Amino acid sequence: MWQASYSYSEEVYGSTNNAAQLGLNWVMSNILPDQAGLEINGLVYQYTAVKDPETDMIVYVQNEYADGNGYIFRNADDWSGLPGNTINKAFVLPNLSADLWGPGSIEVNGEGSVVDPSVIYTYKYDTCFDPQSDPSCPGYEEPIVVPEIPIYDPLQDELVLEQLEEKARLDEQEEEEDRKRRQRENAVQNALETLLGDGSNPGLIDPVAEALALALTARILPTSYYSDIEGGEYLEKIVLNGGVVQDNRKARRSSLAQQFLHQQMVDSQYEKSQQETK
Amino acid sequence: MMDFKLVIPLASSLLATGAFGSTEIIGSVDSKCIIVSETPGVYGNPNPYQLTTAPSSGGVKPIIRYDVLVADYYKAVIDHPEEFTSSPTLDDVVTWTGDVTVSEVSDTNMSDYDTNKVEYNNSHEYELTVSGSTWFTVSSTADYGSTKSFPAGQYTAVVEAECIPL
Repeated sequence: MWQASYSYSEEVYGSTNNAAQLGLNWVMSNILPDQAGLEINGLVYQYTAVKDPETDMIVYVQNEYADGNGYIFRNADDWSGLPGNTINKAFVLPNLSADLWGPGSIEVNGEGSVVDPSVIYTYKYDTCFDPQSDPSCPGYEEPIVVPEIPIYDPLQDELVLEQLEEKARLDEQEEEEDRKRRQRENAVQNALETLLGDGSNPGLIDPVAEALALALTARILPTSYYSDIEGGEYLEKIVLNGGVVQDNRKARRSSLAQQFLHQQMVDSQYEKSQQETK
Repeated sequence: MMDFKLVIPLASSLLATGAFGSTEIIGSVDSKCIIVSETPGVYGNPNPYQLTTAPSSGGVKPIIRYDVLVADYYKAVIDHPEEFTSSPTLDDVVTWTGDVTVSEVSDTNMSDYDTNKVEYNNSHEYELTVSGSTWFTVSSTADYGSTKSFPAGQYTAVVEAECIPL
């Protein structure tokens, strides 16, 4: 189905009120309408210079750049040696973005004054500078509607909660059983220790088994095990000729080789741990 | 025997034919001096014997603007009125006074036009030495008799403004 639609943008032209009606200094944001993409395309000013024809006076009508770096507009009227009068000037400007315009002022240098000042800016803007500002603007795009997705919280699910409670109950039950089992085992062990620790218990002495054990011991252990060793002191009998013990080079090589292998192993473990860290 | 003749068209025969041509050169000159009546004047009648453009007397001073595109090529001559172009029948003398002043400029150097102007009779002559716009304000007062009342009716007077090439 074909659906009729239309879009249009409109350039609006206008002019400000007198920017200097409250004084010789003004702020552009207080003068210009709050419109995106607004551009200033003209300026008209008028004032009356009051002065002695013999004196010097220069009047500047000016606007600073918004970033404070110089003037975006500045015009000087040199009244030096001239009688005062009302001056009226108009300027056509090349559509300068309003964002560039800083504070404006009329500055008087010299002897004299300015009365009845009037500074008027002319401007234009596109009503569809921001296409999203109006559905009728060319380039307007329907905003994407994000569907509301219900968030599933398993902790709010009754079935899950039942299962969790059941598991908790089983865990608790199992833990209780473990605790009782350990308690029983401890009781038996304690009873056995008590029973076995009593050497006078005739139930624990079996003469036959004892004789058999002695016989086995006699067969396994050497006779010297039972011989008495005469006491005394065994003195060191090794005598070193020359008093210097030479290094065992074979042993040192072996020791160094083992140390080298050990160092390699430590290094490889270190490198491995370093790689795992990265 | 056969004769062959070479026929050669003579250029002279062509040239010999009489010819005449002409072409136009057209040019137009737009005046570089434009006069615009910005504010029509109004006479107030503060006294029965007087008509005046003074704002304090209910009048409005006419304002004439001269736009000069090239400096130093023109002079402005402005005459304040010396007679009514239309009025009821007047059987007594009307005394006229008036003045022309530069009331607004587009360049500070025009502000001494008044100092340098030449006046004769009811004429005010300005040399337009600066390009731009100059606004001239004219004042006019008509006194009837010594203190005689003006007859009722409509009164019209004209300010003449000329831009004369130098």
